[in-house]
Amino acid sequence: MTVSTSPVDIPRSSLDVFTDAALLDPWAGYRELRDQGPVVFLDRYGMHAATRYSAVSHILRTPDVFISGEGVMMNDESNQMIRGNTLCSDGEEHATSRGVVVKPLTPKALRPLQEEIRTQARDLVDRLTARGQFDAVTDLAQYLPVTIVSNLVGLPEEGRERMLLWASESFNSCGPLNERALNSFPVLGEMVEYATTQAVPGKLKPGSWAEAVFLAADRGEVAKERCPMMMMDYMGPSLDTTIFAISSAVWLFARHPDQWDLIRQNPSLIPGAINEVLRMESPLQCFSRKVAVDTEVDGVALEAGSRVITYYGAANRDERQYPEPDRFDITRNPTDHLGFGAGPHACVGMNLARLEMRSLFEELAAKVERFEVLSETRALNNVLRGFASLDVAVHV
Amino acid sequence: MPKITYIVDGQTAVTVDAAVGNSVMQVAVRNDVGSIVGECGGNAMCATCHVYVEEGPVDSLPAVSAAESEMLDCTLSPRESNSRLSCQLPVTDLYDGLVVRVAQEQV
Repeated sequence: MTVSTSPVDIPRSSLDVFTDAALLDPWAGYRELRDQGPVVFLDRYGMHAATRYSAVSHILRTPDVFISGEGVMMNDESNQMIRGNTLCSDGEEHATSRGVVVKPLTPKALRPLQEEIRTQARDLVDRLTARGQFDAVTDLAQYLPVTIVSNLVGLPEEGRERMLLWASESFNSCGPLNERALNSFPVLGEMVEYATTQAVPGKLKPGSWAEAVFLAADRGEVAKERCPMMMMDYMGPSLDTTIFAISSAVWLFARHPDQWDLIRQNPSLIPGAINEVLRMESPLQCFSRKVAVDTEVDGVALEAGSRVITYYGAANRDERQYPEPDRFDITRNPTDHLGFGAGPHACVGMNLARLEMRSLFEELAAKVERFEVLSETRALNNVLRGFASLDVAVHV
Repeated sequence: MPKITYIVDGQTAVTVDAAVGNSVMQVAVRNDVGSIVGECGGNAMCATCHVYVEEGPVDSLPAVSAAESEMLDCTLSPRESNSRLSCQLPVTDLYDGLVVRVAQEQV
């Protein structure tokens, strides 16, 4: 990303990207920011926003300049609270703890789980299609993450019923210091407390992923004091993100029956369709990075010490990268989408998320002819995009 | 522009111009070389862009990182000493003449 001319001053915007209306329908705002420049300074929040694909991709893949170690949230309070988890670390420290966290999430490690996840998906889809109507969030999308994944993580039963609340509130805490973030802090505190006092050896399920983190520490692969924060790596992200992706997929297929027909005719299109869902409706819309040294992005100067919000959701709708970006086209197979992020911090659970989604939609494709949305309520979250409820009727 | 040769299906050699800055995986996908999937988008997370580095400027390639090594243990075609994830090989001018054999099984 070198340019021959000297960098230009950063464009500024007074747009408030975190109002209820903007969160529910961010696309026009994203386009406005993209058209202003690769990176724009948000007057309202005192942070930069990167919204073009090339800028976001560059930032995520240049971790020495755009660091995570001072947090990836958009307020100092939550960056302090979860200091030391894998997401918010750099370099060798990050590589070491990610190496431990990723162990159960590699394609090879997940292979033995495929059959169980498929069987559970089949039984679930059988039950739901027999009912004819269901909530695609609570009945469909939450099922695999809550029953299978949280069991694999293996945290103690006490408190696990709070996991869904912890998940959504920990993502709310990522935003700038607005009411949604402020309201989330007590819940985030509760989650940190649980990770520190309850998610500990002796209380964890034998053979679980959480236990494996402590065993790795016993072998000296990672510092013991990092373990509680590494529990957080499994606690939040394994639930809401996948849940929101599944509900958004149902919503898109309900609105685009022609695309669902393509899948029913050729289920091998499902992995590519999942990429297109994640491009269109990225469950996690943004995180941020601290700028470590004076730098430039596509010719725009950024000062050391500033913070830049990386908008995956906006980059994935960038017309400079994807022709007709607002068109849902499952044959597009955009494997380069940024819905899972990119670079060293790319979503560590992406293989599991894909496996869950693929299993569900293969079963749905075999049985469901049409999804019909009866009622929908979007979730309002600082960084997540998806549904609080999505009542659908299925025609089989 | 440096040229990279991909050996596909164990026999067919395909030589393409590789844009500097793209990864050896991206060059393959953009040129429809075949067999390379790149499902995770180039993040060393899926092991579906597995190649064997056969000849050419092999000393110009970056070392295998811990993350890449972890994933190379997951490849469907067996890992060899010259196995690489092609998404972790960003093309430079020094790559001219590189020959990689695409692993037959990726997913």
